Amino acid sequence: MQTDLNAPLDHEMEKASNSYLMSLLALLVGAPLPIINLIATLIFYLGNRRSTYFVRWHCTQALLSQLSVFFLNSYGFWWTISIMFTDATLTNEYVAYVVTVGLFNVFEFISTLYSAIEVRKGKHVRWWIIGDITDQLVKEHS
Amino acid sequence: MKSNSLWAIIILGGFVALFFWLRTIDWVGMFNIEQHTRDTEQKLGDLFWEHIADEGEQITDSFTVATMDSLVHRLCDANAIPRERIKVHVFRADVVNAFAMPGGHLVVNSALIADCKSPEQLCGVLAHEIGHIELRHVMNKLVREIGTSVLVNMTMGGGDGGQIGEVVGVLSSKAFDRDMEREADLKAVDYLTAAQIDPHPFADFLYLTGNGESEEAFEWLSTHPSSKERMEYVLEEIGKRQFDVKPVIAVSTWEQLKTNMETADSLESH
Repeated sequence: MQTDLNAPLDHEMEKASNSYLMSLLALLVGAPLPIINLIATLIFYLGNRRSTYFVRWHCTQALLSQLSVFFLNSYGFWWTISIMFTDATLTNEYVAYVVTVGLFNVFEFISTLYSAIEVRKGKHVRWWIIGDITDQLVKEHS
Repeated sequence: MKSNSLWAIIILGGFVALFFWLRTIDWVGMFNIEQHTRDTEQKLGDLFWEHIADEGEQITDSFTVATMDSLVHRLCDANAIPRERIKVHVFRADVVNAFAMPGGHLVVNSALIADCKSPEQLCGVLAHEIGHIELRHVMNKLVREIGTSVLVNMTMGGGDGGQIGEVVGVLSSKAFDRDMEREADLKAVDYLTAAQIDPHPFADFLYLTGNGESEEAFEWLSTHPSSKERMEYVLEEIGKRQFDVKPVIAVSTWEQLKTNMETADSLESH
């Protein structure tokens, strides 16, 4: 899951690590609203898009990782709203979806936390698939 | 990269498989959700009923109670509806109205009974409202208009008198949607024919009272879809069926009930 890059500087490691921490912090603050953590990561990404390759790369990966859970969480969020405010009923499918997405979020939370810690140490943590997409989006000399 | 993709597919596939496995579990049964829903509905119904009972004057003489009970009994027995589920209350009021509430409470105004030309017409209205109760339209309407969170909060003592009054207002004066009204009308035909009660007077009631009478006085009709349209589809439904009919109650009993209601109305208007 990880490969070493040319050693980044300390302030780069901190910024790159913060891009992951930002999404975790936003997740805790805006737990029921799935858009909050995506917006927080997006703001952090926009603020660092002219930074060094190491920082840009991790900001992009953090943003893409949030995007993947955003769609799953949004669907669950609106499903919940429809049960609370319309005549939609609570079904076995709904509970199954909430449990699955909940576990997916836990998995994503742990991965983000792990990434934040490892990136702070200067390690280049790549997420499956998302790391490959990030490679396509972020070029070293762009 | 190949290995990474394989892992990603395994993990994503694992989550999809987990979802499909979890959905085979009967969560609704496991957490007794339907029973909780019924309990909430019952609590809400009792809460609204207490409010209405405080605001209006209920007619509780033994003759009216026994006569209304015999009509509801006949509809319930013939349609396998537990009799104790439907609680009929007759109110002294000069507005022609009847409405269903959560928990099986069914409120009928004296003016509506006085306006019916026959016991079959009254049974039609009762069957229609029982239809709303049995088809769970009442809670669906409330959830749409008010929201689950507010309703649950009310059952926990979170609603004040004004808020409860507003909800009762929604129940008594706002229509169900068109599909629900149609469904309840057709259910009423089901109930009436099963109980060997002639459903034609119900269609007449829809049409006659919706034409040439004051809209304000006929709240029950003003909150429902076009009377003509309803009469037409009710008659069409009746035309598809074969059924026997038997008298509902003795003519003298009906006359006495009407007289009692007209007296109640005149007392109300004074």
